[in-house]
Amino acid sequence: MSGGRLAENGGQRIRRGEELRFTFDGDSRVGLAGDTIASALYAGGQRTFSRSFKYHRRRGELCGCGQCANSLVTVDGAPGVRACGEPLRDGMQVEHQNAWPSLELDVMRATDLVGGPFTPPGFYYKTFIRPRRLWPLYEKVLRSAAGLGKLRRRQPEREWRTEYRRRHCDVLVVGGGIAGLSAALRAAQLGADVVLCDEDVEPGGSLLFEGGHERARDLAARCREAGVEILTRAPGLGYFDGLVPVWQGDVLHQVRAARHVAATGTLAQPLVFPENDLPGVMLAPGALRLAALYGVDPGRCAIAGVDDRALETALSLHRLGVQVAVVADLRPDADSELTAALETAGIELMRGVTPVRAGGSKQLAEVQVGPVDPSGRLRGSARRIACDVLAVAGPQAPASSLLLQSGARARFDDTLQSFLPQEAPPLIHPAGAVAGHADAESAMLSGAVAGAEAALALGFGEREDRDRLASERAKLEAEAPTVRRAAPPAKSHDGGRGKAFVDLDEDITAKDVAYAAAEGYDSLELSKRYTTVTMGPSQGRFSQLASARVLGEVTGRPLGEIGVTTARPPWTTVPMGALAGRPFEAAKRSSIHARHRDLGATVRWAGDWRRAYDYGDVEGETMAVHEGAGLIDVSTLGKLIVRGPDAGELLDRLYPNRMSTLKPGRIRYGVLTSESGRISDDGTVCRLDDDTFYVTTTSSGATAVERWFTWWMASWPELDVTLTDVTQGVAAMNLAGPGSRDILAKLTDADVSNEGIAYLDGPQLAIAGIDCLVLRIGFVGELGYELHCAAPQARGLWDAVADSGARPFGLEPQRILRLQKMHILVGQDTDSETTPYGANLDFAVKLDKEQDFIGRWALEHYEERPPAQKLVGFTCPGGEVPTEGAAIVEGDRVVGQVTSSRRAPKLESSIGLALVEPRLAEDGASISISDDGRRIAAAVQTRPFYDPDGELLRS
Amino acid sequence: MRDIFRKRRMWKFATELKPRYDVVIIGGGSHGLATAHYLREHGIADVAILEKSYIGSGAAGRNTTILRSNYKTPEGARFYDASVKLYEGLGADLDFNLLFSQCGHLTLAHSDRAMFVMANRAEVNRLEGIDSQLIGPDRVQELAPAMYVGPDTTYPIMGALYHPPGGIIRHDAVVWGLARSAFEGGAEIHPYTEVTGLRRQGDRITTVETDKGSIEAGVVLNCTAGWSSVIAEMAEMQLPITTHILQACVTEPVKPFLDVVVVSSQMHVYISQSDRGEFVMGSEIEPWTTYRMQNTLNFLQDLTRHTLELFPQLERARLLRAWAGLCDLSPDYSPILGKTEIENFHVSAGWGTYGFKAAPIVGKMLAELVATGKTPELIAPFALERFYTDELVSELAAAAVSH
Repeated sequence: MSGGRLAENGGQRIRRGEELRFTFDGDSRVGLAGDTIASALYAGGQRTFSRSFKYHRRRGELCGCGQCANSLVTVDGAPGVRACGEPLRDGMQVEHQNAWPSLELDVMRATDLVGGPFTPPGFYYKTFIRPRRLWPLYEKVLRSAAGLGKLRRRQPEREWRTEYRRRHCDVLVVGGGIAGLSAALRAAQLGADVVLCDEDVEPGGSLLFEGGHERARDLAARCREAGVEILTRAPGLGYFDGLVPVWQGDVLHQVRAARHVAATGTLAQPLVFPENDLPGVMLAPGALRLAALYGVDPGRCAIAGVDDRALETALSLHRLGVQVAVVADLRPDADSELTAALETAGIELMRGVTPVRAGGSKQLAEVQVGPVDPSGRLRGSARRIACDVLAVAGPQAPASSLLLQSGARARFDDTLQSFLPQEAPPLIHPAGAVAGHADAESAMLSGAVAGAEAALALGFGEREDRDRLASERAKLEAEAPTVRRAAPPAKSHDGGRGKAFVDLDEDITAKDVAYAAAEGYDSLELSKRYTTVTMGPSQGRFSQLASARVLGEVTGRPLGEIGVTTARPPWTTVPMGALAGRPFEAAKRSSIHARHRDLGATVRWAGDWRRAYDYGDVEGETMAVHEGAGLIDVSTLGKLIVRGPDAGELLDRLYPNRMSTLKPGRIRYGVLTSESGRISDDGTVCRLDDDTFYVTTTSSGATAVERWFTWWMASWPELDVTLTDVTQGVAAMNLAGPGSRDILAKLTDADVSNEGIAYLDGPQLAIAGIDCLVLRIGFVGELGYELHCAAPQARGLWDAVADSGARPFGLEPQRILRLQKMHILVGQDTDSETTPYGANLDFAVKLDKEQDFIGRWALEHYEERPPAQKLVGFTCPGGEVPTEGAAIVEGDRVVGQVTSSRRAPKLESSIGLALVEPRLAEDGASISISDDGRRIAAAVQTRPFYDPDGELLRS
Repeated sequence: MRDIFRKRRMWKFATELKPRYDVVIIGGGSHGLATAHYLREHGIADVAILEKSYIGSGAAGRNTTILRSNYKTPEGARFYDASVKLYEGLGADLDFNLLFSQCGHLTLAHSDRAMFVMANRAEVNRLEGIDSQLIGPDRVQELAPAMYVGPDTTYPIMGALYHPPGGIIRHDAVVWGLARSAFEGGAEIHPYTEVTGLRRQGDRITTVETDKGSIEAGVVLNCTAGWSSVIAEMAEMQLPITTHILQACVTEPVKPFLDVVVVSSQMHVYISQSDRGEFVMGSEIEPWTTYRMQNTLNFLQDLTRHTLELFPQLERARLLRAWAGLCDLSPDYSPILGKTEIENFHVSAGWGTYGFKAAPIVGKMLAELVATGKTPELIAPFALERFYTDELVSELAAAAVSH
């Protein structure tokens, strides 16, 4: 019986005294500290870890390093955890995925037993086409079989706390194998600030399980001494123009390095033969890891490969005390020190053979090996070898995702039988096996060269360091690769039945890929999209080369021509919570906001701002403004200071009316348009002195206006003018209502009479002892003063004004009040096509002024091209308040839309604004509103509903 | 059922260019292939489709497969409604299951302003005979039981525009089904054939130059989302288009629990769950112009954060793959479709994020235009000329993220 533990040796991670208890599908299991979930399960005799995506076949240990989909389990409710990479913790609750009712007895297995011939690739495209009404039913069945892990159906909020960490360094080394460690060490010794990240629980890469653990741990220790920050269990997820996110548990490190070393190593590759997915068929490093790192006896092993790696695996396993049955080497002429060593160890080496079939019911029991012809078919007879494990060592493939994402190209290398990344951009230095330097010594040297190149390029090091680099580089380049590797057939087989998988994640067989190619899906990309090969959780790591080989065989094209698919982030599948960081949304609040909360305001979003919509009594607040005095926080308005000798000229070029003629202390309304004369924003402009203008914008348009001004200032360098955005630094509140003058009088010694501060005056006064800019304007339609002051003083000012008798009112009452006056809200009462003429802002367009201004050309052509829609007021005699957004119709034809509508308590009527075709813009015209199916009759009115002549504003 | 046992060749890609074709379609995506498919109805078979990569490699294969017709303008709604109706019957026409799932489409509103836009769209849609309605949070919860619709979130859901006929389709299947039909109808599909130049004489394109040689053409169609302005420039013609990237991503498959498409404009996210169990998510068009189809980290971070506001249980779902595609934006977010100043050069361009949704109707209309020489009424509002006559069809207000 396999699965017990081997004797101790120095390289093991497990701590034998420390038992950890966990459950697997509810059964209690025991593992050791240092185990992964998978090694503990395996040591306890568990061979099946999961059921496959489509056929629900048993799947077991494969890669042993958290890269494959075979070991996907759910841990404490989190699906998609790779059991073979996840360290075991005490009390873990591990559950299988994608099998019902249990992992052992899975009814969906029927899809494999009977469904195989019925489910060729893309079968769903060819079935259930007619009758169409049945498709939703079929789809329901398909959906019920879909998916792997399970998530909770409801969850009110995020429970997992995750963080971002920003880290700037000189050199980031991705991959902590011998090349990465060597690169990090050299760069750090030269004085660079170095971060190294690795996916495993400790750096060392394949050294750790190939007999080099002491060397790996020594190198890592030297790196730490030299100041390298080593991040473990921390895959680099992608290359985003030099920014590399490194995911480590609850933290996403956003590492910005001046130089990168890609030392990402290689990935073991499978061989394709019938039943090659049986639990027990592993990648060679998977078997080695089990034995070397976790002291797990995998059982009696057979080994199959195409190069010396198979022989090395056999010797390593043998040294660790694992029984090795036989080595099947595809090369007919393998002969090296290693073959001699095998002989000494008493391990049988079969030359020129490869597996043609695996056998066993629930797990591997035997493998048949034999010689094959170039098409992969068995020549002669196969030999059966009884074994628990078949360790497979296909041609290694560089883990080149990061390099390819950074812009490198993949070129097929005939010797290595895989795609090597070439032409990496200058800021990223490939090192080690990913660059073709696979054996430990040349990987070490290549790491040192990459580390030195990175550091020296950043200005570290001395002349002798350069000389040393040059000689090392020469030495590295002189080393001819001595790999002797056989090219495996796309599939080796004995002509019998059985599925030979090229993609275990997606249950895609070699036959599937060939079938699809025969149908016309004969390029890698089309094949991928049609069969879904490489689209599973392991992202094609172990399937891309295998499927490309099948395509190459059926199309007769060389592998180099088949190519690779585009490398996409993330390199490792990553939980969304880890990418998302804190559940944090930036919100703007005015400096008076705390008061609104004290007053029990209904606070809602208004653009980026949190604003007081009302204080619980919309009608009361509205009437207070009409009858006494109200106070509203308008700090959200955009506020810009335009200063300089040419400030007036700038504004004249941006606004369709004249701003340069404004007298200091006076205010003018202005509308901004695009080049095509469409309204983009509006606000007031107050001249503070000869050279200074104070511009306000809408709340939501503040940022866009600031950018707009900046853009044009950059286009007109001849103008001597500066722009300062004081939106956040200056607070504002509007004191409005017939009683506002009396309140103001209580708070200042200045003359606040209608002569002292006339309509559209903008004096600078101390109010309640606070320096203010007072803008006498009337957005809400009553006598009013907008008080602008420094944000930190605003709460004091607010309190003083409120205590003097002004009632706070919110955004909603303001909307009613301004609607009565037909004062527009840009973006609500205008859309992307509305011109100032369409919005009845003709008064704000001065075509007789001399300057060219933005939008002039379009506005001059107004006569030729009248606006498609005009803004009008309307009243609903029936008292209905139509939904904002409801359509104005003639019959079923849309001729406009309701942009604003409210019941006005003061007027005791239902009023609104609408954009309509110009021919309807006549006083008294009757229009029909279609609102959620009902029709509402309304009458057009073009003059303000309240105080149409503005007498209240001016008095 | 018999069909699934039968290996049926979909197409045979052409390898040699002929010296001349009646119709040369630049772009082997959903629009180009759909046009070739519908040209069959007019008996036009001397057609070459030139694709610089593999068929469906551009926007057709990179979009997030959402179909809908609840547009803001009557012109748009009418047009996309015709497209959805064609899509409904397209699988049967092509004898290829396009896996069109009309699971319904929700556009969430988190603000008064959004409610206003939704109400307007619902009203315009209804008047065009399109099933589209404004619904409240309770109904939203019923339709998407897995979504958190509580008052205590960062962006509470005030309501949604619900569009029952909207849904998702398998984009690749659309491409393949159309390609097979085009091929069977006699059109030549030339993958890996890049157009390198257009020779123009006066008001006509005479020659299409490719990296595989030059060909003469009766009519040339520019169906190259992402590169339409580049191709137009080869014809010495400018299109009012800027090109941006749009990014999307997908998670590992999990057992399905979301059966409707959810879009939140305010949070710049849209999300659906495929029949494989993957969550497919996307964001808004990036504001900068580029042809570099690479993802940004900001996209992944912002999108996941916002998605988790709606679906906190996805915090442990694993992001599998991200990608980016090109979007051509026109000034009014409506397409530029039909004739140009060049007599025999028609365009299908400026689709923003809406191109795939329109594929069959574009094909049908362009085929009619080619066959009759007249602009069909349905697409008259989308003529390039509108930018000179100032008669825009503005989808802008609805555009923020309106997949």
